Amino acid sequence: MKKWLWLSLCLISLCAQAEEKKVRIFAAASLTDVMNVLIKQYGQQTGEQLVPVYGGSGTLAKQLEQGAPGDLFISADEKWMQYLKDKQLVQAASIKPWLSNRLVMVTPLAKPMSIRTEPSTDIRQQVPGYWCTGDTVSVPVGIYAKQSLMALGWWETLKGRLVSTQDVRATLRLVERDECDVGIVYASDAQSSSQVKVAGEFPENSHVPIVYPMALLPQAGAQANGFYRYLQSADAKKWLISFGFKPVFAD
Amino acid sequence: MLSSAELAIVLLSLKVAACCVCVLLLPAIGMAWVLARKRFWGHALLDALVHLPMVLPPVVLGYMLLVLLGRRGWIGERLYEQFHIQLTFHWWGAVIASAVMAFPLMVRAIRQALVQVDPLLEQAAQTLGATPLKVFFTISLPLAYHGVLTGAILAFSRSLGEFGATITFAGNLEGETRTLPLAIYSLTQSPDGDAAALRLVVLSILVSVIALLVSQWLEQRLLRRQQ
Repeated sequence: MKKWLWLSLCLISLCAQAEEKKVRIFAAASLTDVMNVLIKQYGQQTGEQLVPVYGGSGTLAKQLEQGAPGDLFISADEKWMQYLKDKQLVQAASIKPWLSNRLVMVTPLAKPMSIRTEPSTDIRQQVPGYWCTGDTVSVPVGIYAKQSLMALGWWETLKGRLVSTQDVRATLRLVERDECDVGIVYASDAQSSSQVKVAGEFPENSHVPIVYPMALLPQAGAQANGFYRYLQSADAKKWLISFGFKPVFAD
Repeated sequence: MLSSAELAIVLLSLKVAACCVCVLLLPAIGMAWVLARKRFWGHALLDALVHLPMVLPPVVLGYMLLVLLGRRGWIGERLYEQFHIQLTFHWWGAVIASAVMAFPLMVRAIRQALVQVDPLLEQAAQTLGATPLKVFFTISLPLAYHGVLTGAILAFSRSLGEFGATITFAGNLEGETRTLPLAIYSLTQSPDGDAAALRLVVLSILVSVIALLVSQWLEQRLLRRQQ
């Protein structure tokens, strides 16, 4: 009995030690593909291993608020960054607008469609099925989507068949599987999938500007700082553009 | 006291849970009888399969349902093309998701009760000329009634709490598949949702406690009647 107790204690302390040094990047779900590449590139250049944590920006912010160990936070909107800033959970001086993106409608590959984003479009007639996007209260893509749908006067028509997902990637999957007829995602997500087709783009003035801010968290050390600088380098810019994002930083 | 939105969520949850129990009753009684009374090759395997939803992560089941019954799923595609039935994002999808999760709970309860029925009573009925079906419905099932009741209540409560399979298969659609747990989840994700989430948490506890109290009351009444 005593032996087992010791053994488990040793195991736990081993795990604890292994956990300690990891630098964690909390990034919005829409960044999944490009962030995986950036982390790999950075790893090859410096030999450092970073751990990404992806999710809806709100989910991540709430986790960080509850004390999740993170070093860098990249949100898909300014609201959630402000949320953490108000609670003094990010290094305020390090907050920087990093990327911009566009908001598009996608359909399953087999059912291409062209939807004109004008108030005059009869959306009830043209697209009778289900629409998917991130939760319109908490997930950035859903918040932008709601603004655009309201600006176009489509919100009341679509409200009852708008399916909420936990992040933008879940929306993309549902459209790929043809469970949803239309998904509202970022242009970068649409580009990342070969199973969906863009049906139309929302005018930029129909929603608040899409800005991905990033910030260091209070416990961030030298390693996290290094990656934070790398993310604003010319090399990172090249990758971001190739994945369909629009960098807004000066390298 | 309750806002109309909250009331709608509670009513939807109760509707899904009640339908889940109704859908399960016959198959669960049948499966429980097979497992309790029949001995055949593959019995252990069938038993394991029935119990699988209890140990599998709910999200796996939700995904399996999506692959099977989704609009492009093996079965779902036919349903959609022939009858224009789409289960995803429909409250029947939520019923199916929670029914799959609750099935083993119900089977277990009924099976345990069936095992306790004295086989001599069944044999006596049979020697008096009753068909096996008649024996089952007039002797075995009435004697195992408490098991059916327990199973139904367990399934009802499980359905009220179902989250993972529902959100994966039926999705999170307000007024259609957003049951109590999904509504609570959505609120905990939003910036100022904590207070509203807390209200739903209390509501959820209340509903569950009432369900359990009703089950105890029913069981006691049943016991008294048997004595």
